[in-house]
Amino acid sequence: MRSPIFLSFALSVLLNAAARTEASDPQTLADRIDHHINERLRAEGVSPAAIVADETFLRRVTLDLAGRIPTTTERTNFLSQKEDEANSQVRRRGLVEKLIHSPDYAYHTRNQLDILLLLRSEHNATWREYLLEATNENRGWDQMFREIFQPEDTLSGDVRPVSYLKKQLNDLDALTNGASVKWLGVNIACAKCHDHPLVDDWTQDHYYGMTSFFKRTFRTKKGFLSERFEGLPKYTDIYGDEQQPGLMFLTGQKVDIPPLEIDEPALKKLQEAIKKSEQDDKSDPPPRPDFRPRSEFVELALRDEKNRFFAKNLVNRTWARLFGRGLVHPLDQLHSQNPASHPELLEELASGVVESGYDVRHLTQAIVLSKAYARAGNDTETQACPPDLFAVSVPRPLAPRQLSLSLRIAGQNPVKLQEKSDPDSWSVEREKLEKGSEAIAKKLLIPNDGFQIPVTEALWFSNNLSLQNDLLRPSNDRLVGYLKKLEADDEVVSAAFASVLSRTPDAAEKSAIQQYFAERGDRREEALKQVVWALLATPEFRFNH
Amino acid sequence: MIPATLKKTNEWKSSDIVFCLEHMAEMERVWFAGSDFNVYQYDLSLEKPERQPFDGEGHTSYVTGMVRQGNILITCGYDGQLCWWSIDERRLTRKIAAHERWGRAITTSPDGSKLYTVADDMLCKVWDSTTGELLETLQEHALQTPHHYPSMLYAVAASPDGKWLATGDRIGHTAIWNADSLEKVAEIETPVMYTWDPRARRHSIGGIRSLAFSPDNNEIAIGGIGKIGNIDHLGGPARLEVFDWRNATQRLEIEDNKKKGLIEQIIWSPGKEWILTAGGDNNGFLTFYNAETGDVLHQDGQTGHIHEVSVGPNFDELVVAAHERLTKWTMQSEPPKPASDETSKEESNSSEKPDNN
Amino acid sequence: MNLLNRRSMLKAAGTSAAASNMAAVELLSQPAMADELARSGKNVILLWLAGGASQLETWDPKPGRPTGGPFAKIQTSLPGVEISELLPKMSTRLDETAIIRSLNTKIADHGQGYFLMDRGRRAEPGIEYPHLGAILAHELGQIDSKVPDYVSMYTSTEGRRQGSAGFLGARYNPMFLTDKMIPEDIQLPESISDTDHRDRAALRKTLSQRFAQRMNHAGVGSHENAYERVRGLMASDYLFDIDREPTAMRDAYGPTQFGQQCLVARRLVEAGVPFVKVARAWWDSHGQNFETHRELCADLDHCMSTLLDDLKQRGMLETTLVITLGEFGRTPKINGSLGRDHFANAWSCTLSGCGIRGGTVFGKTDADGQTVTEGEMNAGDLFATIFSALGISPDKEYMVGSRPIPISDFGSEPCSEVLS
Repeated sequence: MRSPIFLSFALSVLLNAAARTEASDPQTLADRIDHHINERLRAEGVSPAAIVADETFLRRVTLDLAGRIPTTTERTNFLSQKEDEANSQVRRRGLVEKLIHSPDYAYHTRNQLDILLLLRSEHNATWREYLLEATNENRGWDQMFREIFQPEDTLSGDVRPVSYLKKQLNDLDALTNGASVKWLGVNIACAKCHDHPLVDDWTQDHYYGMTSFFKRTFRTKKGFLSERFEGLPKYTDIYGDEQQPGLMFLTGQKVDIPPLEIDEPALKKLQEAIKKSEQDDKSDPPPRPDFRPRSEFVELALRDEKNRFFAKNLVNRTWARLFGRGLVHPLDQLHSQNPASHPELLEELASGVVESGYDVRHLTQAIVLSKAYARAGNDTETQACPPDLFAVSVPRPLAPRQLSLSLRIAGQNPVKLQEKSDPDSWSVEREKLEKGSEAIAKKLLIPNDGFQIPVTEALWFSNNLSLQNDLLRPSNDRLVGYLKKLEADDEVVSAAFASVLSRTPDAAEKSAIQQYFAERGDRREEALKQVVWALLATPEFRFNH
Repeated sequence: MIPATLKKTNEWKSSDIVFCLEHMAEMERVWFAGSDFNVYQYDLSLEKPERQPFDGEGHTSYVTGMVRQGNILITCGYDGQLCWWSIDERRLTRKIAAHERWGRAITTSPDGSKLYTVADDMLCKVWDSTTGELLETLQEHALQTPHHYPSMLYAVAASPDGKWLATGDRIGHTAIWNADSLEKVAEIETPVMYTWDPRARRHSIGGIRSLAFSPDNNEIAIGGIGKIGNIDHLGGPARLEVFDWRNATQRLEIEDNKKKGLIEQIIWSPGKEWILTAGGDNNGFLTFYNAETGDVLHQDGQTGHIHEVSVGPNFDELVVAAHERLTKWTMQSEPPKPASDETSKEESNSSEKPDNN
Repeated sequence: MNLLNRRSMLKAAGTSAAASNMAAVELLSQPAMADELARSGKNVILLWLAGGASQLETWDPKPGRPTGGPFAKIQTSLPGVEISELLPKMSTRLDETAIIRSLNTKIADHGQGYFLMDRGRRAEPGIEYPHLGAILAHELGQIDSKVPDYVSMYTSTEGRRQGSAGFLGARYNPMFLTDKMIPEDIQLPESISDTDHRDRAALRKTLSQRFAQRMNHAGVGSHENAYERVRGLMASDYLFDIDREPTAMRDAYGPTQFGQQCLVARRLVEAGVPFVKVARAWWDSHGQNFETHRELCADLDHCMSTLLDDLKQRGMLETTLVITLGEFGRTPKINGSLGRDHFANAWSCTLSGCGIRGGTVFGKTDADGQTVTEGEMNAGDLFATIFSALGISPDKEYMVGSRPIPISDFGSEPCSEVLS
């Protein structure tokens, strides 16, 4: 027998699929973004930084959409097209279109989601497989939300998304706040011990109301996820009175709990079955109640048309991933006392994303096509402007896999890479790159707000043999091996810059490196390795800018 | 005579840990001592026996070993003292500072004239059991483990013919001594008894906890625990090794993973048919092995780690000193049918697992 | 996040003092700067007893009680103060040490207990609290330090947790030693000469400068700061080489790994490293508690007393705080395996040296060690006491976003009785 929730879920999938076919043209949405951003810039009297040149744009957008630097082949292909103003827009649009439908986009989005949702702490490969499958088919964010929060109810019977809840089940507070922060952009942890001291929106009732949705969820000893028939959290307020808010969503909306239509002995029997399943590793999952608070949470989040935390959080996090800060900042502070920098833009993008069936790819595509996204970062005048104007680009540290993949790409012989650049070979190559970059990625920290590069990273780059012996190997499959065969210094420097920094060197850079070579006439191979190392260890390589 | 059935008939619970005991000829009365420092008499023939403490300023720490010499009990303990107690008067009659460090075990020569004690000063001392005079000090066992921590000397045994003496320590080193000349005559190494964890936890566990010469004096059984993965717990196999000690050749090497833990005591049957081992992890075990083949003949367990077993003169009764209890068991010595033996083994395996938090 | 690093301000003041001495004097007369001066040159060595050492076999023995275990207590050099006989060397060296016997931290689970005793507060979703080492590296260290400002040695694998500098940022993450006695990647690789390594670093800087300047961004700045420190840190590799110590000194610390790491710790603080943690694992004696403590206490007793003697002889104990602490203590109840289990309701730690009133015993537990009867302290109180001993105001606040976070937990109080 299928529950009504199950049916409504199936229905919403169908509806979403229908809605998504009508999604607006990404360029139209991009223009709307610029409209709102420019309006505020005009109001503040700020003229924004210039639009970046093609080679900078290529590196930036490839890192953001493919999760790696561009190959020299991609660079040549992109730059060799005609160079007039009107054409530049067309070319960039074509580039974005190609990247966003490439396997790289699915891998990169998967890696980003893994960090957002579980901080890459799940070692069971099925979780990452599930995410990749979802990003590959550009599954709606609402559908993923359902699958992750109701893994028992997925249409396909796919149990892989269960990792998310399982990893957090031993800590109800972390599970509740994680659900709230990551999926709704709201941090209510401060309201656990008292009403939020700074934000009137959040009371202790909100906190315990939210934990109520997860309180009944448990894991059987055999490893299944299940829900109890009863149980609601209570707390003692600052006046010493005991409170039990029941199921209450962030919006204050409450859910009535239907009376249990089971008699006392039957309930007792169920409770015993639940207890047994928690202790006995052979026991099958106990029967599940018809009324499931966790499903109610999902429904409330998706049906909240007034506050639209779910949609706004998606927009805000996607925005922040591409701009280095959210329209609402910090990302977990969506509340009335912390308005968005561009409230109308946030509303419009939220509406758009709902209409598109929570299509993350569409939203991402629109943002990277905007002029706001393509601003330069090195404009010292606009740097002094308030960051929430988005008048200037801000350098963003690469995530562990972005960096380790980029290291692998930069370190390869560009000719060998070119041989793998047709779509079919590239799919295979990308999977190989993912695997090959894992060890280095593990050594790197996940960047947080205000990230600082730890000295251990600089020491690793400077002295670890795995970098020296692998990426900087002078063999034929590596960049150093390729450079070794080039004769003129000028050619070497240009090739190294193209591979590592995705740009052409200037005269000063050329002469600095040529001098470096000149001093090492007796050990050119060593000098080549050192020059490539020096480029890999620049902040220009370490950041997306 | 082969133990066919083993049945627990009585259990007397207490709040302390009972480390050692002795019994009267017919087992209607026992004496025991342990973690509350006192020595007690206990009349098992009564329905509800009560502890009758011995008088006197005896031990000031755990009492770890006890022997009986007629109507005298002699005990050793963590305080390094040796105490003589009169059974008739139920009081302390002599106390000697015997060791600088914690006393671990005491035994007597078969004729009762001598006492042998071992302690964590890594010395074995020989005493006149009547006068309390120190006759000799045997120095052999290293003060430190190979990993630079203090070692411990747990076990001492005398051979039934009174000619030989054995001492065994934490790192698995056993020395055999001529009991008359007190010269070392053989050495046996059982390194598996000592688990050093160099990686995860950086300390050790284990040690030789029990020694017993065979009735023909030619063999020595060495008991302890095998290699342990997680040394936070006694989660290793009970380990028994039997050697022809004159040639230091191993005849039996037995590990039991069903009932895990330390073998605290080894008793050979008088006819050398079987070997009884007792000990445990968080709980206790009693295991009979075929002395020839090493096969398990019979096994049972109880709540409470077993520290010592006293066997009745007819080998049909056992009294057990254990964690927070004394228990009494009866043995029936009919020849077993293999099938029923199998069943009883399985039944006894259902006892609780050690606490693994 | 808006963190004002007073140390760098003082340094800035020092630089400008060359131009005007008056400016420096004025700055120093401000309370913040006086506070700064009070904690200059102070160091901390944390002897981390990972897994949870038994208070009953160390600082709070209860011999003769059902919970007391077999070991006796011994009279220390302090009248009326007795500790376990397993710590004979420490019994004569309590003049600079305060024993706290009244920790009640409630959490008796390794993971959460570690979190609590490492950060001085419970985990809170949505905010990443820094651990003690990161806070002290931040408070006592210099931003451009040539030596590491936080070294953590945890060579056993059990219970190893690196922790995080949390909202203070990765700049304050430790150099974490897990396999070797020397941090990873601190030594010159054989594949490159020292000259080339230096020139390569200079070339890197040249190629980075324009970008770093034009971007004018804190994250990019931290990248350059991290690379700037590489050569200095490599030059401090000798600090980890105890072969440079006289044989007599190495012998004094003894052959155990814990002893050798204590000697490294002393070398590090002597060179100005503000925080060194030496983790001694693993005390989790669910089985054979007494044998385990016989081994580990011998190691602790020897190494801790040698370290205190050494620091004292070098005149460093006044400016170095030595903490012995774990995630919790052990149950008074002795289990069937003669073990003790996890227990956080009444346990002990010690503080020695800098800022501590030596010879103090603070707090009491009941006769069986089941509850605290006098001077109850929680993790926050202990951290407030540690900060106070180092001259750091326990009321100091960090701003995380718009939220003020006190350096020691809300409602915590330093224990004035153990402070000098």
